[in-house]
Amino acid sequence: MSDLVKLTIDDREVEVAKGTGLVETAAAAGIEIPVFCYEPRLGPAVGACRMCLVEVEGMPKLQAGCTLTAQDGMVVHTASTSARAAEGQKGTLEFILVNHPLDCPVCDKGGECPLQDLTFRYGPGSTRMTFPKLTFDKPIPVSPLIALDRERCILCYRCTRFSSDVAEDEQLIARNRGAYSMIATFGDEPYRAPFSGNVIELCPVGALTSTQYRFEARPWEIQDVPTVCGLCPAGCNIRATTREGLVKRVQSRNHPEVDGGWLCDKGRFTFPHLRSDDRVREPLVRGTVGLEPVSWDAALDRAEELLRGAQGKIVTALSGSETTEIAYGLGVLLRRGLGAHSAVLDESTSAALDACRAPLSTIGAAELVVVVGDDEVVDRAPIVDLWLRKARRAGAEIVTIGARGSVPAPVGGAAEALRDLAAADSELGGRLRASDRAILVWSGSGGGGGARLAEAAHALGFEGKPGCAVFHLPARANARGVAEAWAAAADADEADPEPIGLLVVSGDEAAGDPSVRALAERASTVIAITMFHSLAVGWADLVLPATASLEREGTAMNLEGRVQRLRRAVTPPVPDELAWLSKLAERFGVALSPHAAVVFEELSGRIYGGLLLEQLGEHAGLPARRPYEAPEPTPLAHSPEANVPEDHFVGTLRLLRYTPLFSGHQVERVPELQFQRPEREVALSTVDADRRGIATGDLVSLRSNGTSVELRARVDARLVEGVARLADEHAAHLHADVEVVKA
Amino acid sequence: MSSAPEIVFAGTDGGALTELAAYEAVGGLTALRRAREMTPAQIVAELEASQLRGRGGAFFPTGRKWSFLPKPEQNPRPHYLVVNADESEPGTFKDREIMLRVPFRFLEGCLVAARAIESTRVFVYIRGEYLREFEVLVSALEQLRARNLLGDVTIVLHRGAGAYICGEETALLESLEGERGQPRTKPPFPAIAGLYASPTAVNNVESITTVTPIIEMGGAEYAKLGVEDSTGTRVFSLSGNVVRPGNYELPHGYPLRDLIYEVGGGIADGRTLKAVIPGGSSTPILTASEAEKVTLDFDSLSQAGTAIGSAAVIVLDDRCCMVQLGVRVSQFYEHESCGKCTPCRVGTRWLTQILKKIEAGHGTHADLDLLLDVGDHVNGTCLCPLGDSDAIAVASYVAKFREEFLQHIEDGGCPFHGTSSLDGIVAPTDVHEAHAGGAEIHRPLEVVG
Repeated sequence: MSDLVKLTIDDREVEVAKGTGLVETAAAAGIEIPVFCYEPRLGPAVGACRMCLVEVEGMPKLQAGCTLTAQDGMVVHTASTSARAAEGQKGTLEFILVNHPLDCPVCDKGGECPLQDLTFRYGPGSTRMTFPKLTFDKPIPVSPLIALDRERCILCYRCTRFSSDVAEDEQLIARNRGAYSMIATFGDEPYRAPFSGNVIELCPVGALTSTQYRFEARPWEIQDVPTVCGLCPAGCNIRATTREGLVKRVQSRNHPEVDGGWLCDKGRFTFPHLRSDDRVREPLVRGTVGLEPVSWDAALDRAEELLRGAQGKIVTALSGSETTEIAYGLGVLLRRGLGAHSAVLDESTSAALDACRAPLSTIGAAELVVVVGDDEVVDRAPIVDLWLRKARRAGAEIVTIGARGSVPAPVGGAAEALRDLAAADSELGGRLRASDRAILVWSGSGGGGGARLAEAAHALGFEGKPGCAVFHLPARANARGVAEAWAAAADADEADPEPIGLLVVSGDEAAGDPSVRALAERASTVIAITMFHSLAVGWADLVLPATASLEREGTAMNLEGRVQRLRRAVTPPVPDELAWLSKLAERFGVALSPHAAVVFEELSGRIYGGLLLEQLGEHAGLPARRPYEAPEPTPLAHSPEANVPEDHFVGTLRLLRYTPLFSGHQVERVPELQFQRPEREVALSTVDADRRGIATGDLVSLRSNGTSVELRARVDARLVEGVARLADEHAAHLHADVEVVKA
Repeated sequence: MSSAPEIVFAGTDGGALTELAAYEAVGGLTALRRAREMTPAQIVAELEASQLRGRGGAFFPTGRKWSFLPKPEQNPRPHYLVVNADESEPGTFKDREIMLRVPFRFLEGCLVAARAIESTRVFVYIRGEYLREFEVLVSALEQLRARNLLGDVTIVLHRGAGAYICGEETALLESLEGERGQPRTKPPFPAIAGLYASPTAVNNVESITTVTPIIEMGGAEYAKLGVEDSTGTRVFSLSGNVVRPGNYELPHGYPLRDLIYEVGGGIADGRTLKAVIPGGSSTPILTASEAEKVTLDFDSLSQAGTAIGSAAVIVLDDRCCMVQLGVRVSQFYEHESCGKCTPCRVGTRWLTQILKKIEAGHGTHADLDLLLDVGDHVNGTCLCPLGDSDAIAVASYVAKFREEFLQHIEDGGCPFHGTSSLDGIVAPTDVHEAHAGGAEIHRPLEVVG
């Protein structure tokens, strides 16, 4: 191939694509060029640490290898064949260690520290520095999640580059100059941003440490379990670090197509909810004085009794966070065993999307991205936000159509916006049609679980173009897998379950869903499968303890349609769902294995195209696109699509609720994450605020149907007129139309 | 005084030409009119014929630098001319005088240079402390604007915020873009991807000002001044222990000895010359006997193992303690190190610490070896020349005045016993304690929700 270049590194000839970084080129030849500041995911090399010094023939000075790319005929000598390079590198390492405290024995990074490793390999055995080391106050809480030790910092600027060039939150900065340079935040405000935790992993020394992991474990006494995050539909690949049966931290397990090695703070820091005080650790039955613990045998007896008693008039409320295997198990028990085919799921995902599916990383290479919907991408699938930023940095145009869009649209107007795009006379649609690298994203509720999106992409001719793709961001992590597993568990049509004899609430998202609660009002009895007492009290007749995704074996299908494997990081404090589901199934004469792998084998042929577990591998691939089929009505009864109120009163504003990234029953149970939760505030458009004489920071009152909520106003210049936008958790019982007045 | 022709300061008669009419009266704006009739390539050719080399310190041929910029048809991004007026090399104060006395010649040079690189956007990055100079330029720019002489060119005067490193061209560009002033790795060079990743020429004030007379007189004519490889005149900033310190415009090739003794009036109070730093603090020092022999041009100074640099001639008489000189110079670089690359950030501080130890009489022979070794590890490993400068300068003091360093070590103190001419000059880094982290406590976090 013509774009290959041949060069010599340490007398070894190596052939790579022109433009390959020298560090990677050397690695391809089996030669290490040690680095600290170099991290290609952060953008162009900065050449700051000077650890990578090499000698290049024809260049008078030593060169920072990380800043060079492979050129034809280049002759490079690393420290192993160049005395000058070795001397330069030795000097650099000595400099790096001059002010470093060398407190490895008490440093969390010790044992997995690049500085420690490279010092052992290349560094001097002793120091010639006899002056007092530079000291700083430490540790500084950069936020409740991150501690900063400025003495250990070697100023590689990885963290500040991440903050400014990847997450673009612009919060971490370098302050002062020269030897006194230090990492800081502006005005010493806490580093409050959705992706802050990545700087901990990026830090090549022990300068930025996780407050959750500090002094919790040493690298030789931990086990890392490769699994997949179950908190949003992106399915970022993670490693759960465990020690003595407890999850101690979560780190990225870079899947270049899915997450590019980044994680959001929700995925990274939420694991302590596994050890929440109000975790349900044994089955509970409603007794005379509330919920009372019972034995598992008694619980299963009671479950059987409730299931039989309902005489098939059963509705199952699925969360969409179950593994595909658990959802299938529920389907086997309830549909096959009891003929109870009715289920609700907040949002499902249309299989029609498969015609235009592609890895999320495709977004990063796009030239035009259109995001429709009223929800911020970062709230629904945070990692997608980073891919969008990457695309924009590379020159892509990002158009957002929604209540806060660059193209303003009325609330709930996403479906119409898509129809407009697909119409022949749309300018933007025309450009989408013409582009080979165009992306459509649906970030909001409604839309038939992406069916509208799939239709639009089909109309725009995306199928034949591998660089064009659509992404629907469902509210629940495994919405697609759960819906399909439930559908595949039996063949029968849904019967009318009314009046509801039994409501089976599967999982915490369903248990926390007001519409499921409303359904429970109509049900004679309720079985709740949940992790937390507070989600069970007051309505359940039987409570069966649930497990968390970090405790599960199984698979999940992410928003791309990629099947990924969850591995059990720690043994749950309760039997897992399949264990008792299989026992119950036996009582109803249907066969269900308690082992996720066996259940997978059975369901794979039905919904995963016969995929084998071992095919999922360390990093699961994305199946090929499937021919477009016009979406069928989904087998699940939906909660209503984004409901447009018919009676819009003059002077009232439309309430736009959103579910913030940092919300939900897991986040609520992690004290150190609370600072990330949204402010108690309502956003108003400039026009609506002016009309009411409201300014940012004013206390306002939101009223509807006799309820009222008081919070601070924020004037949001991006918000479309006629809307009051606030987080679900602050909206309480407000109805769709609210009056907003200055309090 | 020298009878050499004045080129940069021509027509000033020792004063300043801050009114446009006065400038025109001495032939000002001829170059601009002429340049507007020339093609960009012709202007570049004229510059190449003049053999003008950069006056900022690197001595890179100006015409060649411009020729590296792609043509607008090769790269449609805007082209920029950025003038480096962030003069801050210790000993250097020529650009301020140029801006004060011949602001129009400088701005005329900007317009000619912009035409040469087909740019309509000029940024002048002026040292923040140069307030008067800035005001003079503002006034001159207003006068040009009032007469519609700028054409389609926009000239922006941007004041720096007090960092020596922003005189390094890529750090200057970063600062101009609103980023932290730290050098970039090269390549890409500014000619290819400079300001806002666009083709950019970065030139020193004196270089740009000299463009004007070069177009007026013709490049070939200009090249007759000075000596081979160092054509034209140079504004030398003469400072230190001389009778008449100041800026003197002299042709390249002028004997250093004559600058000190004829132009500068010699060493004051009957003292004797000890050493000369010929081109700003970054250049290696010359002993008195070496200084007697050299001429002020690229070749002669290179052969003497130093450089013409920014043409800042610092004269030191026999009262100067060379170890103290090392401390002061090294402290400067320590203070001005941007902190981006390791060897400079750590090495300049370490060098200063060792020098201070020797000056205080606590040094050992091993410390002297360490000083040189640390310098060797700084020199040539840094991202930009700042760290190198410290190491090179200090190494030259040791090389030329080793005896004096040994005296400090062996006698356990400074042989000047507090009478050195540098004694008591406080450098900025003295205020830093070894503990650099002030107490910073985050405001209590509000738990919301």
